[in-house]
Amino acid sequence: MSNETETQGEQLTFASARFGEFTVPAETVIEIPSGIIGFPNSTRFVMLEHKPPFSWLHAIDDPNLAFVVVDGFEFGQQFDVKPPIGDVDTDLKAEDEYAILIVVTVRPDPRLTTANLKAPVFVNMRNRKGVQTIIDDQRYSTRFPLWSEAASEENGDADQGQIADTSTQDAVENAKR
Amino acid sequence: MLILTRKPGESLYIGDNVKVTIVEMKGNQIRVGVDAPSTLRIYREEIYLQILEENKSAAEGISDAALTELSGGWKGVSRGSGQKASGGQSEGAINAKRSDVLLKRKSAGTKQ
Repeated sequence: MSNETETQGEQLTFASARFGEFTVPAETVIEIPSGIIGFPNSTRFVMLEHKPPFSWLHAIDDPNLAFVVVDGFEFGQQFDVKPPIGDVDTDLKAEDEYAILIVVTVRPDPRLTTANLKAPVFVNMRNRKGVQTIIDDQRYSTRFPLWSEAASEENGDADQGQIADTSTQDAVENAKR
Repeated sequence: MLILTRKPGESLYIGDNVKVTIVEMKGNQIRVGVDAPSTLRIYREEIYLQILEENKSAAEGISDAALTELSGGWKGVSRGSGQKASGGQSEGAINAKRSDVLLKRKSAGTKQ
Protein backbone atom coordinates (compact mmCIF):
# COMPACT_ATOMS: atom_id res chain seq x y z
CA MET A 1 0.00 0.00 0.00
CA SER A 2 2.72 2.50 0.88
CA ASN A 3 6.07 2.89 -0.80
CA GLU A 4 7.99 2.74 2.42
CA THR A 5 10.37 -0.07 3.11
CA GLU A 6 8.88 -3.18 4.57
CA THR A 7 10.78 -2.87 7.82
CA GLN A 8 9.00 0.37 8.49
CA GLY A 9 5.47 -0.79 7.89
CA GLU A 10 2.65 1.36 9.07
CA GLN A 11 2.03 1.17 12.80
CA LEU A 12 -1.26 1.52 14.52
CA THR A 13 -1.71 2.71 18.08
CA PHE A 14 -4.84 2.05 20.04
CA ALA A 15 -6.05 2.00 23.60
CA SER A 16 -7.08 -1.00 25.65
CA ALA A 17 -8.88 -0.67 28.95
CA ARG A 18 -7.24 -3.88 30.10
CA PHE A 19 -3.73 -3.54 28.76
CA GLY A 20 -3.10 0.14 28.20
CA GLU A 21 -1.78 1.47 24.96
CA PHE A 22 -0.69 -0.76 22.14
CA THR A 23 1.18 -0.26 18.95
CA VAL A 24 0.84 -3.00 16.39
CA PRO A 25 1.81 -3.34 12.74
CA ALA A 26 -1.16 -2.24 10.68
CA GLU A 27 -1.02 -5.41 8.62
CA THR A 28 -1.94 -7.50 11.64
CA VAL A 29 -5.39 -5.93 11.83
CA ILE A 30 -8.30 -8.28 11.32
CA GLU A 31 -11.33 -6.66 9.80
CA ILE A 32 -14.71 -8.13 10.68
CA PRO A 33 -17.07 -6.08 8.51
CA SER A 34 -20.27 -7.29 10.18
CA GLY A 35 -18.72 -7.20 13.64
CA ILE A 36 -19.09 -9.79 16.34
CA ILE A 37 -22.81 -10.52 16.68
CA GLY A 38 -24.23 -7.99 19.13
CA PHE A 39 -21.36 -5.55 18.54
CA PRO A 40 -21.85 -4.32 14.99
CA ASN A 41 -19.97 -1.06 15.51
CA SER A 42 -16.55 -2.57 16.11
CA THR A 43 -15.12 -3.98 12.93
CA ARG A 44 -11.35 -3.79 13.38
CA PHE A 45 -9.52 -6.11 15.72
CA VAL A 46 -6.06 -7.36 16.54
CA MET A 47 -4.96 -10.60 18.12
CA LEU A 48 -3.03 -10.27 21.34
CA GLU A 49 -1.31 -13.13 23.00
CA HIS A 50 -2.61 -14.56 26.25
CA LYS A 51 -1.21 -17.78 27.60
CA PRO A 52 -1.56 -20.44 24.94
CA PRO A 53 -3.89 -21.62 23.68
CA PHE A 54 -5.82 -18.48 24.56
CA SER A 55 -5.52 -15.14 22.86
CA TRP A 56 -7.40 -11.90 22.84
CA LEU A 57 -9.40 -10.59 19.96
CA HIS A 58 -9.25 -6.93 20.85
CA ALA A 59 -11.23 -4.18 19.18
CA ILE A 60 -9.16 -1.27 17.95
CA ASP A 61 -11.95 1.26 18.06
CA ASP A 62 -13.34 0.37 21.48
CA PRO A 63 -10.90 0.11 24.38
CA ASN A 64 -13.45 -1.90 26.38
CA LEU A 65 -14.25 -4.54 23.80
CA ALA A 66 -12.10 -7.64 23.90
CA PHE A 67 -12.84 -11.33 23.66
CA VAL A 68 -10.82 -14.25 24.90
CA VAL A 69 -10.54 -16.64 21.99
CA VAL A 70 -9.07 -20.03 21.43
CA ASP A 71 -7.82 -21.45 18.16
CA GLY A 72 -10.58 -23.59 16.69
CA PHE A 73 -8.04 -26.08 15.43
CA GLU A 74 -7.23 -26.91 19.05
CA PHE A 75 -10.47 -28.87 19.11
CA GLY A 76 -9.23 -31.18 16.41
CA GLN A 77 -11.51 -33.48 14.48
CA GLN A 78 -14.33 -33.24 16.99
CA PHE A 79 -14.94 -29.72 15.78
CA ASP A 80 -15.59 -30.39 12.17
CA VAL A 81 -17.03 -27.26 10.63
CA LYS A 82 -17.04 -26.13 7.06
CA PRO A 83 -15.67 -22.68 6.35
CA PRO A 84 -18.14 -20.24 4.79
CA ILE A 85 -16.82 -20.40 1.27
CA GLY A 86 -18.40 -17.66 -0.80
CA ASP A 87 -19.06 -15.46 2.20
CA VAL A 88 -19.09 -11.82 1.11
CA ASP A 89 -17.49 -10.30 4.18
CA THR A 90 -14.37 -12.42 3.91
CA ASP A 91 -14.38 -13.24 0.19
CA LEU A 92 -13.35 -16.73 1.30
CA LYS A 93 -12.44 -18.98 -1.58
CA ALA A 94 -11.69 -22.67 -1.54
CA GLU A 95 -7.94 -22.11 -1.99
CA ASP A 96 -7.66 -19.58 0.84
CA GLU A 97 -6.08 -20.34 4.17
CA TYR A 98 -8.23 -19.48 7.10
CA ALA A 99 -8.10 -19.41 10.85
CA ILE A 100 -10.90 -20.24 13.26
CA LEU A 101 -11.33 -18.27 16.46
CA ILE A 102 -13.65 -19.61 19.10
CA VAL A 103 -15.03 -17.04 21.51
CA VAL A 104 -14.55 -18.07 25.12
CA THR A 105 -16.76 -17.06 28.01
CA VAL A 106 -14.61 -16.84 31.11
CA ARG A 107 -16.60 -17.41 34.29
CA PRO A 108 -15.62 -16.23 37.74
CA ASP A 109 -14.84 -19.88 38.45
CA PRO A 110 -12.55 -20.61 35.51
CA ARG A 111 -13.40 -24.30 35.60
CA LEU A 112 -16.82 -23.31 34.33
CA THR A 113 -15.36 -21.51 31.37
CA THR A 114 -17.03 -22.36 28.11
CA ALA A 115 -16.32 -22.01 24.43
CA ASN A 116 -18.91 -20.94 21.89
CA LEU A 117 -18.53 -23.63 19.26
CA LYS A 118 -21.86 -22.61 17.77
CA ALA A 119 -20.53 -19.31 16.50
CA PRO A 120 -16.91 -19.54 15.33
CA VAL A 121 -15.14 -16.60 13.76
CA PHE A 122 -13.53 -17.50 10.46
CA VAL A 123 -10.66 -15.33 9.28
CA ASN A 124 -9.49 -15.42 5.71
CA MET A 125 -5.70 -15.20 5.99
CA ARG A 126 -5.37 -13.79 2.47
CA ASN A 127 -7.08 -10.52 3.32
CA ARG A 128 -7.39 -10.83 7.12
CA LYS A 129 -11.11 -10.38 6.95
CA GLY A 130 -13.32 -12.27 9.32
CA VAL A 131 -16.91 -13.20 9.96
CA GLN A 132 -18.72 -14.74 12.90
CA THR A 133 -20.91 -17.50 11.58
CA ILE A 134 -23.62 -19.55 13.24
CA ILE A 135 -23.21 -23.27 12.73
CA ASP A 136 -26.56 -24.94 12.18
CA ASP A 137 -25.57 -28.19 13.82
CA GLN A 138 -26.87 -29.36 17.15
CA ARG A 139 -23.59 -31.04 18.05
CA TYR A 140 -22.11 -27.63 18.74
CA SER A 141 -23.12 -25.70 21.80
CA THR A 142 -22.72 -22.03 22.63
CA ARG A 143 -21.40 -23.24 25.97
CA PHE A 144 -19.03 -26.09 25.36
CA PRO A 145 -17.32 -26.73 28.71
CA LEU A 146 -13.56 -26.57 28.44
CA TRP A 147 -13.11 -28.50 31.65
CA SER A 148 -15.66 -31.19 31.30
CA GLU A 149 -15.51 -32.94 34.64
CA ALA A 150 -15.60 -29.73 36.67
CA ALA A 151 -18.42 -28.46 34.56
CA SER A 152 -20.53 -31.56 34.80
CA GLU A 153 -20.15 -31.60 38.56
CA GLU A 154 -21.30 -28.13 39.24
CA ASN A 155 -23.19 -26.98 36.25
CA GLY A 156 -24.28 -30.18 34.71
CA ASP A 157 -27.66 -29.47 33.25
CA ALA A 158 -29.44 -27.38 30.72
CA ASP A 159 -26.60 -25.03 29.91
CA GLN A 160 -24.09 -27.64 29.04
CA GLY A 161 -25.11 -29.86 26.29
CA GLN A 162 -27.53 -29.42 23.56
CA ILE A 163 -28.91 -26.42 21.95
CA ALA A 164 -32.57 -26.90 21.28
CA ASP A 165 -32.12 -26.89 17.59
CA THR A 166 -33.67 -30.08 16.47
CA SER A 167 -34.03 -29.37 12.82
CA THR A 168 -31.44 -31.48 11.15
CA GLN A 169 -33.65 -31.60 8.15
CA ASP A 170 -33.69 -27.84 7.97
CA ALA A 171 -29.93 -27.82 8.08
CA VAL A 172 -29.74 -30.16 5.16
CA GLU A 173 -32.02 -27.98 3.16
CA ASN A 174 -30.01 -24.92 4.06
CA ALA A 175 -26.93 -26.56 2.70
CA LYS A 176 -28.51 -26.64 -0.72
CA ARG A 177 -29.22 -22.99 -0.75
CA MET B 1 -45.68 -5.12 12.17
CA LEU B 2 -47.09 -5.95 8.79
CA ILE B 3 -49.28 -9.03 9.01
CA LEU B 4 -50.31 -11.01 5.96
CA THR B 5 -52.36 -14.16 5.60
CA ARG B 6 -50.94 -16.90 3.37
CA LYS B 7 -51.88 -20.46 2.51
CA PRO B 8 -49.44 -23.34 2.18
CA GLY B 9 -47.68 -23.02 -1.13
CA GLU B 10 -48.10 -19.27 -1.24
CA SER B 11 -45.19 -16.89 -0.98
CA LEU B 12 -44.31 -13.32 -0.38
CA TYR B 13 -41.42 -11.20 -1.51
CA ILE B 14 -39.30 -8.99 0.68
CA GLY B 15 -37.72 -6.62 -1.77
CA ASP B 16 -36.74 -8.08 -5.12
CA ASN B 17 -34.43 -10.82 -3.95
CA VAL B 18 -36.00 -12.49 -0.97
CA LYS B 19 -38.90 -14.88 -1.38
CA VAL B 20 -40.52 -16.47 1.65
CA THR B 21 -42.76 -19.47 1.03
CA ILE B 22 -45.11 -21.22 3.42
CA VAL B 23 -44.16 -24.77 2.60
CA GLU B 24 -46.33 -26.80 4.90
CA MET B 25 -48.37 -26.74 8.09
CA LYS B 26 -48.06 -29.68 10.46
CA GLY B 27 -49.93 -29.39 13.71
CA ASN B 28 -48.57 -26.33 15.43
CA GLN B 29 -45.52 -26.14 13.20
CA ILE B 30 -45.12 -24.25 10.00
CA ARG B 31 -42.35 -24.96 7.56
CA VAL B 32 -41.08 -21.87 5.89
CA GLY B 33 -38.82 -21.72 2.85
CA VAL B 34 -36.59 -18.77 2.16
CA ASP B 35 -35.08 -18.07 -1.24
CA ALA B 36 -32.48 -15.40 -0.73
CA PRO B 37 -29.02 -14.47 -1.95
CA SER B 38 -26.44 -16.48 -0.04
CA THR B 39 -24.94 -13.20 1.14
CA LEU B 40 -27.95 -12.71 3.36
CA ARG B 41 -27.63 -14.39 6.73
CA ILE B 42 -30.73 -16.10 8.00
CA TYR B 43 -30.99 -17.30 11.57
CA ARG B 44 -33.64 -18.79 13.79
CA GLU B 45 -34.40 -16.08 16.28
CA GLU B 46 -33.68 -18.09 19.41
CA ILE B 47 -30.30 -19.18 18.12
CA TYR B 48 -29.38 -15.71 17.00
CA LEU B 49 -30.32 -14.31 20.40
CA GLN B 50 -28.40 -17.05 22.13
CA ILE B 51 -25.25 -16.16 20.22
CA LEU B 52 -25.78 -12.49 20.91
CA GLU B 53 -26.16 -13.11 24.62
CA GLU B 54 -23.16 -15.41 24.74
CA ASN B 55 -21.02 -12.83 22.95
CA LYS B 56 -22.09 -10.23 25.46
CA SER B 57 -21.26 -12.52 28.37
CA ALA B 58 -17.91 -13.24 26.79
CA ALA B 59 -17.12 -9.55 26.41
CA GLU B 60 -17.84 -8.44 29.92
CA GLY B 61 -16.43 -8.84 33.37
CA ILE B 62 -13.44 -11.05 32.79
CA SER B 63 -11.48 -10.96 36.03
CA ASP B 64 -7.71 -11.14 35.95
CA ALA B 65 -7.80 -13.87 38.55
CA ALA B 66 -10.04 -16.03 36.44
CA LEU B 67 -7.80 -15.47 33.45
CA THR B 68 -4.70 -16.51 35.31
CA GLU B 69 -6.27 -19.75 36.39
CA LEU B 70 -7.80 -20.27 33.02
CA SER B 71 -4.47 -20.80 31.37
CA GLY B 72 -3.26 -23.07 34.14
CA GLY B 73 -6.18 -25.43 33.75
CA TRP B 74 -6.17 -26.03 30.04
CA LYS B 75 -5.67 -29.70 29.41
CA GLY B 76 -5.48 -29.46 25.72
CA VAL B 77 -7.38 -31.51 23.25
CA SER B 78 -6.21 -33.23 20.14
CA ARG B 79 -4.48 -30.69 18.06
CA GLY B 80 -5.58 -30.09 14.52
CA SER B 81 -2.88 -29.19 12.10
CA GLY B 82 -4.62 -26.23 10.54
CA GLN B 83 -6.67 -26.27 7.41
CA LYS B 84 -7.24 -24.88 4.04
CA ALA B 85 -10.67 -23.83 3.03
CA SER B 86 -10.73 -26.67 0.55
CA GLY B 87 -10.47 -29.09 3.43
CA GLY B 88 -6.73 -29.67 3.30
CA GLN B 89 -4.46 -29.05 6.26
CA SER B 90 -1.83 -26.44 7.09
CA GLU B 91 -0.86 -24.60 10.26
CA GLY B 92 -2.84 -21.45 10.87
CA ALA B 93 -1.02 -18.35 9.75
CA ILE B 94 -2.41 -16.41 12.66
CA ASN B 95 0.14 -18.11 14.86
CA ALA B 96 2.90 -16.35 12.99
CA LYS B 97 1.27 -13.02 13.66
CA ARG B 98 0.78 -13.76 17.29
CA SER B 99 4.44 -13.63 18.16
CA ASP B 100 4.63 -10.33 16.35
CA VAL B 101 1.85 -8.97 18.49
CA LEU B 102 3.26 -10.58 21.59
CA LEU B 103 6.43 -8.52 21.26
CA LYS B 104 4.37 -5.39 21.03
CA ARG B 105 2.48 -6.33 24.08
CA LYS B 106 5.61 -6.85 26.06
CA SER B 107 6.86 -3.46 25.07
CA ALA B 108 3.57 -1.99 26.23
CA GLY B 109 4.60 -3.04 29.70
CA THR B 110 2.08 -5.76 30.44
CA LYS B 111 2.80 -9.01 32.18
CA GLN B 112 3.82 -12.25 30.58
